Amino acid sequence: MRKTLLKILGLAILLFIPLGVNAQGTVNFPSAKMTVGEALGVIESQSGMSIAYNETITDLSKIVSTPSGKPLAEALSIILEGTGTEAVIKGKMILIVKKKAAEKPAHVPVSGTVRDKIGPLAGAVVMIDGTQKAEMTAEDGTFTIQAAKGDVIRFSMLGYKDALYTVGTMTSGIEISLVDDSQLLQESVVVGYGTMQRRDITSSISTYKPADEGEREFISPDAMLQGRVAGVNVAAASGTPGGRSRVSVRGIGSITAGNEPLYVVDGVPMSNTSGDTGAYAGESLSGLSDINPADIESIQILKDAASAAIYGSRGTNGVIIITTKKGAKGKPKLSANANYGLSYLQNLDKLRVADADLYLEVQNEAIDNYNKQTDSAIPRLENPYPGKPQFSWIDMVFRLAQSWQADLSVAGGGEKSDYYIAGHAKWNQGVGIGSLYQKYGVKSNVNSQVTPWLKIGATINLSYTDANRVPDGAIGTSMLTHGLEHRPWDTPFKGDGSYTIINADLLHYNLVQAINEQKVYNKTYRVYGTAYAQIDFFKDLNFRTTFGGDYMSAEDHVYFSKDHMYGNSAGVLTDSRRNFASIVVDNILSYNHSFGGLTLNAMLGHSFQMDNNSTAMQKGQGFPSSDFDVNSVAAEITDYSTGLSTWALQSFMLRTTLNYKDRYLMTVNARLDGSSKFASDFKHRYGFFPSVSLGWNLSEEPFWKWDGINAKIRASYGATGNQGGIGSYAWMTLVNAGYNYNGKNGYAVMQPGNSDLQWETAHQWDVGVDLSFFRGALTFTADAFLKDTENLLYDMPISATKGYTQYTCNIGSMRNRGLEFALGGNLGKGDFHWKGDLNISFVKNRLTSLIGDNEVLMTDDYHAIKVGEEIGSFYMIKMLGIYQYDEDVPTYQYEHYGVRAGDVIYEDVNGDGDITVEDDAQFVGSANPIFTGGFSNTFTWKGLDANIFFTYSYGAKIYEYWTGGLRLGNGNWPAQESEALARWTGPGTSNTVPRAIYGYTWNSTMFKSTRYLHDASYIRLKTVQIGYTLPKRWTERIGIEKLRVYVQGDNLWHYSPFRFLDPEVNTSMTATKMGLDCMWIPQPTTFTFGVNIKL
Amino acid sequence: MKKSIILLISVIVLTVSCDKLLTQYPHNAKSVDNLTEDDVEMLMVGAYNIAQYKPTFNGYALFDIIGGDLIRPGATSTNTPALVVQGAIAPGLSIVGGPWNGYYAGLYQINNFINAAESLPDSPRKKEMCGTGYFFRGLYYYYLVTRWRDVPIVTGPVDYDVPQTEEAEAWKFVEGEFKKAIEMAPDFSDKNYVSKDAAKALLARTYLAMGKKKEAADLAEELITCGRFALADFSSIFRGKVNKEEIFTFPNLQNEGSFNIGSYYYTKESTVGGSYTFCPTQEAMDMFVHNDKRTPYSVDIQGSNNVVNKYYQGDAGHDPIYIARLAEMYLISAECKGLALGIDRHNQLRTFRGLEAVHPASEAAFLNAVINERRLELFGEGFRWYDLVRTGKYEQTVGVESKYTVLPIPSRELTLNKALHQHSLWIASDDSETNE
Repeated sequence: MRKTLLKILGLAILLFIPLGVNAQGTVNFPSAKMTVGEALGVIESQSGMSIAYNETITDLSKIVSTPSGKPLAEALSIILEGTGTEAVIKGKMILIVKKKAAEKPAHVPVSGTVRDKIGPLAGAVVMIDGTQKAEMTAEDGTFTIQAAKGDVIRFSMLGYKDALYTVGTMTSGIEISLVDDSQLLQESVVVGYGTMQRRDITSSISTYKPADEGEREFISPDAMLQGRVAGVNVAAASGTPGGRSRVSVRGIGSITAGNEPLYVVDGVPMSNTSGDTGAYAGESLSGLSDINPADIESIQILKDAASAAIYGSRGTNGVIIITTKKGAKGKPKLSANANYGLSYLQNLDKLRVADADLYLEVQNEAIDNYNKQTDSAIPRLENPYPGKPQFSWIDMVFRLAQSWQADLSVAGGGEKSDYYIAGHAKWNQGVGIGSLYQKYGVKSNVNSQVTPWLKIGATINLSYTDANRVPDGAIGTSMLTHGLEHRPWDTPFKGDGSYTIINADLLHYNLVQAINEQKVYNKTYRVYGTAYAQIDFFKDLNFRTTFGGDYMSAEDHVYFSKDHMYGNSAGVLTDSRRNFASIVVDNILSYNHSFGGLTLNAMLGHSFQMDNNSTAMQKGQGFPSSDFDVNSVAAEITDYSTGLSTWALQSFMLRTTLNYKDRYLMTVNARLDGSSKFASDFKHRYGFFPSVSLGWNLSEEPFWKWDGINAKIRASYGATGNQGGIGSYAWMTLVNAGYNYNGKNGYAVMQPGNSDLQWETAHQWDVGVDLSFFRGALTFTADAFLKDTENLLYDMPISATKGYTQYTCNIGSMRNRGLEFALGGNLGKGDFHWKGDLNISFVKNRLTSLIGDNEVLMTDDYHAIKVGEEIGSFYMIKMLGIYQYDEDVPTYQYEHYGVRAGDVIYEDVNGDGDITVEDDAQFVGSANPIFTGGFSNTFTWKGLDANIFFTYSYGAKIYEYWTGGLRLGNGNWPAQESEALARWTGPGTSNTVPRAIYGYTWNSTMFKSTRYLHDASYIRLKTVQIGYTLPKRWTERIGIEKLRVYVQGDNLWHYSPFRFLDPEVNTSMTATKMGLDCMWIPQPTTFTFGVNIKL
Repeated sequence: MKKSIILLISVIVLTVSCDKLLTQYPHNAKSVDNLTEDDVEMLMVGAYNIAQYKPTFNGYALFDIIGGDLIRPGATSTNTPALVVQGAIAPGLSIVGGPWNGYYAGLYQINNFINAAESLPDSPRKKEMCGTGYFFRGLYYYYLVTRWRDVPIVTGPVDYDVPQTEEAEAWKFVEGEFKKAIEMAPDFSDKNYVSKDAAKALLARTYLAMGKKKEAADLAEELITCGRFALADFSSIFRGKVNKEEIFTFPNLQNEGSFNIGSYYYTKESTVGGSYTFCPTQEAMDMFVHNDKRTPYSVDIQGSNNVVNKYYQGDAGHDPIYIARLAEMYLISAECKGLALGIDRHNQLRTFRGLEAVHPASEAAFLNAVINERRLELFGEGFRWYDLVRTGKYEQTVGVESKYTVLPIPSRELTLNKALHQHSLWIASDDSETNE
């Protein structure tokens, strides 16, 4: 863009009446010889006209003679003589353009090779300057282009400085060497309400650009960021396609008021609330999957307060700015991608269920132990079907899943307009039988320069998703748990082909029946888009108004046939719908100007957003047969509800960026936000969020002697707010209607309002350094931050005697500290090239104050918060080992709980002999990792490319609350083979797995204990991809510019101390309840075969 | 420049109009500051709704679950009542904490309602509304005191930690509330609404707990002889048919209640479906004899499973919640009047249910007979545990320690309300030595 940019000088002259015009219209120069640039400046100031020229075709440093007293036109022609340019006067403007050639010399093929210091460069653009004629270099760096003598050929490639070659007598064997540009400092970065050059950035912003190579196929863009960016931790939801990931930027942002970052797509905030209505108890769907990852050009993550403060009350958890692809001037570019994948669950043998003999051995040992201990006569169990082979429920309901995806896009543009139009289709089976996620969408992005001062554009995205859902997540028929909880002889069908039934034949729900007899789907239709108009008042001042809309219509259909356990023997249908609409109007005034070495960049804006959520649900019961699945045929409507809520946000923004000679940089942001979620007086409703950041580009200093090394130091402070996760009307004390009795309307006081509610505010300090060595071959970025969050919003538990069990209030403060490092390498020799990215981030959270006192507040059965502890800490009874002898058992436990040798030793913190949650629970670790990161390596050699990508996380804990296979005689639960074999059977046999005992729950379910708390650290080989781009000389014959095929493996391997399947899955998005697993479906191993085509 | 002026004006206009949109009100609720007199009637209806569902299934069924007649089938199978009790009752368990929260949430509503009703100008309707309020407050405290004995008494909005009131004082409070209700509540017209008679039935039950036998018997007799009520067959009471026995019953309609009692008792293979969480012990099955007309409406055998059969709709519909019916008055009268004077009422009920009259030889034998009759008559209606506790028979009958004769204060409450103390039976001895 730089090269064609018209630089306009002298804005001030346009603004004021030109006083310096000579009455005769002649020009007087202060000296007889000047440079072209100086001379033009004199003409400009004396004539009152502005002069526009293209730097690249005008040699401003040429010294020319400047005779005074000549009329304007003559003076110009004298100055420009011999420069190859001429002046054209248009009104108040003087345009300096390339002189029309008198005659056109004949075009001849000009050929050669483009290299950098490493080797030949493929894909460099070879262009005749001033024309649209362009070619690209081939795999071996060679090019051929038709050019005439005297033409200037421009060679350009992203990351390199342009090179020029004037065609002379030599027309072949031309060797062009491109010099690395420091990419880190030249990149254009999207910030809130605008863009900036990377070199001007003084806050902590990370960028991720998806590239063809090494890129996996994703359903939703949140998953794309995993392991890619320092400071961004993404925990995969589960292996169900379309599931929700948990994304956190720089750790926990809040206790309850929402921890998910703000997503901004093409400038407009996008709702990332769940894609479903919650009518189905299974796993929730991602609300971001309507963005097709293939349409994404780049993702910027605003991590610190200085960058996020421009989003004010919504910026506390970081901001993820997604920019979608646009067209560019030139011939239409067509791109098509398609792939086919196969997925399966790995490591299922870890879950193997004990066979009939082992199961009965454990159960009867448990009964014997109980009978002996209590002098009872509980009968022993016998195998009702001796010799019957063990049935594998898991094998029956999990499969090798298939998926395919395809997308197609066309991008192009003319002089004044550009366009990007794309469509995609995805069809993904989940590994669970019946799980299917389909998605279809189209997208367009058009921009047009309507008049020299008016530019308009629009993006529109239409999508349709259809998710067929299975019993996953926390539902009572959950697939993995119910695949493991049947006795060895249990099977899904009776002899007559009918289902075996819980209580009658089985101990647990028949999983096959659950899957076959439910029909659960979510269909979502979504339209989101933006339209903008930009008016350029002057070159330096523009106004942009943007209208954004996000409309979503979701339908959840949850049907349980009469043969389903939830079908109430009649058939039950829950039909739940949601309409969500959000509108945003932004008005932004921007001003950019250079005063000598000082560049000013200012932005003033106003934004208004209103979200409207409308829901309707009916539940019908009694259907003639499974063929009928609308509630109009239901025998009765057993439940219904509707809802309607609205919230609105009004904001004023200001940003000023100052840059002095690219050395000293400063950005000041301020935002004032008013939200309908707070009491209506100004003090509570409005929040002010300022920030300031400073940068110093050391390498721009005159004293900097290390050519090829760039260095920048940054420091910032800012404030951001949070209002997510609070009810729309939380400040009001509400009397709710709908508490009806016997058919009459009734009210109840259901919300203790808190008119003192106010913004949660985070103050964040950040210092960072950006270094690049060897002209960008090695880059290093480090950031350290400190984030103090005050007025934490929390649903504080209160004594039930006060009428409520919780109360929304601002209760305390917390501190996040963190370090982030990103190291990038870019090396090559000959045809071989390596690019590596390693990032690691450390975050530590600590609650620093809590309302009033220093108590432990339990947030659920597993977690608590306390001053000095990390939010998300587990708080439970600690298991110390196994009592080896009866004599070791404290008397109280021996007498009151029947504890004997072989039972679990719990730490008795207060030493009273009894174990209770109140007295003996303690902090035992956190669901937050100590550090996380990713390591990506891309190798290319000629047409071959390979990518190996690891993600890792260290120090988090995970609580597995599926205890079914570990109960060892408490109830009739089948045992996990590994647990049964490791059980305590006498002194010295085990210090980790207790004895089998019937009836008593001491070892298994009486307490939430560290017996089920595991280390969730892991390193995962996330992706291996190998691709091959066919030689261009082959593909060109069939008109294809690029044809690449690849094979890819995902989740191929991981190492983790976690004894079950996937240490990453997480059942809760809430900071205080994280790190729980209940045998959610893990991320599958996937092999994908794909092709990328570009025309 | 003209363009910029238009622009500035439009920005200002937009900003001003946006500011109004920042005040949003909910569509299903209103602010308490805007309540009118008519709204107080609405609050009363809401108080019924809350009273009906907030105690939860665990609240209504607790005395059955830990009364020794139910066990847990299925995978979590606990084959003896003692194990059920030990597994269910602990300070941290939801079966203890859930109903506690529910009762106090209900009290918050009823206190709000009473405060609103008391501030209305005097009228007959005001009196009736207040009477209804006192009835519910009495009922909540009856539930609380029977379970936890010493409980915090809350009669209005509080923002401090309320300490416990001694059991005897708490009973006096319950008595006072029901007395006020008897005076002020409406006359009986519909079993689904609070009436003077409902208050009398509950006061009789309260006197029984307080040991005020004469007062209990007098009130029970008043209801038996008033002519508005009569014993009815289980086939009508427990199958949704019109009858004159029910004094106060929550209808627990489909869209107004949150739980189906029956779904806890039936199996998936039964015609109505259910989660089959609890089932009768074999002893409980056996106590229902063939000629007892209550038997088929109390228990059933479905396939190989024993089931409670009082709440017949299972998963398929909502069954009513029975709060007070006349048969209980017969048994309160009998128990309080003693062998000589009470045996008639006892045998009247037995013969009505198809059983033969009994002739106990001693007061102790008579008490046993009455308690046993209550076990049969009120099976599955939330009485058994407290009958055993108040007569001192619980530990021996079920085979558990004495601490299970009172519920522990939920651990969540102990943490959050510093004024509370745990019941002495639930505090571990200081004996921390190991077992020698």
